[in-house]
Amino acid sequence: MKRQILVILSLVIISSMALSACAGGGAAGREYKEEKFEGLSLDAGGCDYGGFFKSIEATDEKTVVFTLCKSDPAFLSKVAFSPFAVYPKEWIKWSAGEESRTSAGLEKPIGTGPYMVSEWKRGESITFTKNPDYWGEAPLAADTLVFRWSTESAARLLELQAGTVDGFDNVGPDDFATIEGDSDLQLAIRPALNVFYIGMTNTYAPFDDVKVRQAIAMGIDRQRIVDTFYPEGSEVASHFTPCAIPNGCVGEDWYEFDPEAARSLLAEAGYPEGFETSLYYRDVVRGYLPQVSNVAQDIQAQLKDNLNIDAEIVVMESGAFIEASASGQLNGFHLLGWGADYPHITNFLDYHFGKDTQQFGAIDASIYQPIIDGGQIADNDEAAPIYEKANNAIRELVPMLPIAHGGSAVAYRAEVENPQASPLTSEVFAFSKPGDRDVFVWMQNAEPISMFCADETDGESLRACEQVMQGLYSYEVNGTAVEPALATNCEPNDDLTVWTCTLRDSVKFHDGTGLDADDVVMSFTMGLDASSEYHKGNTNLWEYYDYLWGMMNKPAE
Amino acid sequence: MTDKTANLANLDKEGLSLKSVSLWQITWRRLFKRKSALLGLGILIVLVFIALTAQWISPYDPYQVLIGIEDVDMRQAPCIHLLGCPKDQPQHIMGIDGNVRDQFSRLLYGTRLSLMVGLTTVSFAIIIGTILGALSGYFGGWVDNTIMRVMDVLLAFPSLLLAIAIVTVLGPGLINALLAIGIVSIPAYARVVRSSVLSVREMDYVSATRALGGNNFDILFKRIMPNALTPLIVQGTLGIATAILDAAALSFLGLGAQPPTPEWGQMLSAERNQVFTAPHLVFYPGFAIMTTVLAFNLLGDGLRDALDPRLAHTSK
Repeated sequence: MKRQILVILSLVIISSMALSACAGGGAAGREYKEEKFEGLSLDAGGCDYGGFFKSIEATDEKTVVFTLCKSDPAFLSKVAFSPFAVYPKEWIKWSAGEESRTSAGLEKPIGTGPYMVSEWKRGESITFTKNPDYWGEAPLAADTLVFRWSTESAARLLELQAGTVDGFDNVGPDDFATIEGDSDLQLAIRPALNVFYIGMTNTYAPFDDVKVRQAIAMGIDRQRIVDTFYPEGSEVASHFTPCAIPNGCVGEDWYEFDPEAARSLLAEAGYPEGFETSLYYRDVVRGYLPQVSNVAQDIQAQLKDNLNIDAEIVVMESGAFIEASASGQLNGFHLLGWGADYPHITNFLDYHFGKDTQQFGAIDASIYQPIIDGGQIADNDEAAPIYEKANNAIRELVPMLPIAHGGSAVAYRAEVENPQASPLTSEVFAFSKPGDRDVFVWMQNAEPISMFCADETDGESLRACEQVMQGLYSYEVNGTAVEPALATNCEPNDDLTVWTCTLRDSVKFHDGTGLDADDVVMSFTMGLDASSEYHKGNTNLWEYYDYLWGMMNKPAE
Repeated sequence: MTDKTANLANLDKEGLSLKSVSLWQITWRRLFKRKSALLGLGILIVLVFIALTAQWISPYDPYQVLIGIEDVDMRQAPCIHLLGCPKDQPQHIMGIDGNVRDQFSRLLYGTRLSLMVGLTTVSFAIIIGTILGALSGYFGGWVDNTIMRVMDVLLAFPSLLLAIAIVTVLGPGLINALLAIGIVSIPAYARVVRSSVLSVREMDYVSATRALGGNNFDILFKRIMPNALTPLIVQGTLGIATAILDAAALSFLGLGAQPPTPEWGQMLSAERNQVFTAPHLVFYPGFAIMTTVLAFNLLGDGLRDALDPRLAHTSK
């Protein structure tokens, strides 16, 4: 009997040792040494593949040269986006498994950020510890940062009130007043970097008549929609692009609400009695459209009351709706919106009003020409008059009505210093301080999917990565402007097709290896070159690499 | 022999009508003895009254958005003056909905829609189901086989699932939803009618009519059908309840009535995420659906007992 117990006991001990050896393999068993600089390069072999990069070269230890296929004023804004963070090349090689990254690769990425991952308890929390060798300044950073999550905004608020978390994301619309009325809590309003609009396709009557579109532009009380259905921090859209984005709202403001003028304009166009049409939307909640069905019904009611237009509501399945609207097949109004991928006006205007866009029917040259011209200029002030032309043309021709920029909010304990609410939802908690405690607990909507963000798109994952990983540039705290991070500077040539980036000196990764130009090239190779043996991720879709830059050597379909 | 049949034939009309009158009288009497059935009938009368007079008794237009007209907030809780709500606030018995409309008025108009849904779908299903069931039961043979196998196929699907499939093909909308629910409920009626036709057609008076040379149409619709109707009435009353529930379910799924139509299922669905923040917007439509379905179920149960021939014999 005793013997059996001893055997079982020893088996338990042995198996637990084996388990801990496996689990600890990520940190303890990391078997790679720092490699010398070799001057790596990534060459697409021309531009015929349709992507963005012609080549990326490490010309010396601290210099990376990006050669582009077309000029792009938004290059720095894109590079600052967290999926394009820099990993050590040794780690990239080490963690690339057979099909996907190894579990350590997905859960404990190695970066240069102010925090490093210490433990991820799946389903519970992620713990970060302060990076002792951080190259930058982060005087406020707490020793430990903890990420937790809960899908219910009410549950998040309860935790904050109880003091078990220091801050949480996405305050429920009904909780704004509660938080503002509580002296222990504070609210940080996140500026809206999105737009909700009513689209019209000008290839269908009666939307082919610009007067009809202008009448509708004047006939909707947008203030009423924002006041009634949007949370605090939202604003009525004066332009398609939010004002927080440089050059977003140069040019004239949108039409004043004037139902009288709208009706007479509609009569002038030949529809004194209004007309019948449809109102298409998908029943999907987004930051730009927090209450879908209610907003749709209010627009329907306003069209009827103000312009006598009978719009029948048609709810479509999301995928079918996106497909039909993008190809310009919807013969009525459609309700859609856009959230910024990266904070640059090209991300808003080029996608919607470019020459080949079909969503609103045919786009007039007075709109698309300035957009093409503006895309050649890196300097915001220099581009301003051109974007003013584009914005005014959009106002004049009304391909759509911008309604609102939907806001959201982050709530913190009152003692939190420098509370953040980043318009790009990328709060970096190393720059906030949780009073006099040394643990900062953050609660968001959902658990990150993985922490290998080169191959993630989910905002909840990206925010966790941003505590650990850094790119050549980063976004300023609580803002959208870019500032140098791992690079001290990136200089374009005259036509913005060659960017030469100089790396910061003496930056060390969490694993102790130093940053050099090879690491940058290797990180981009991993993301961009589908034929690379290191092109292994979590989903293996690499959506942002593909969408913002274009994948090289894609396998034939 | 010929005399006898002639006499029988002469008696037939009077005898039948006499009998049917007494049957209805018995039915009414038995129905009034059942309190639950009376309750159902009572609720139903109130609902019909509301449906007929909705435009006069509802305080607001169900489509009217009150923004800028009254000082009310979206999803505001009910304000009833009798229960102490300040007099200077506008009275909204059931509160304000997510689009700042008067919930009470919408609920009243919803009564009209729900009753209409119940009655039209069931009438549609009864008409088609009766014809199919009667043909099937009367002619038998391959007609019976063909029709009943098709009905079996329809019955093999869960009814709501089949309705969803039909609506998906036809496109969402109240009319299509009605059609779908109608089609789905046909087999129940066809089966009921077929079985009663099967038993009635063997009765002596039917054989007599046939011997007298009555054609198939007359025999089926003038002799057999009137005597095969009782189970159909019960089935129909209970069927209305199911139809209302199904229509509410389809609307809840976004396949039935489209906004802004004040349909109960649609109202419920629109505010389902506000169960905790604005419970009145979910409670009242849900309660209305429950009450209506309950009324039809109570009445249907009562009718079934009242029309049961076995119970009828014992009472004589």
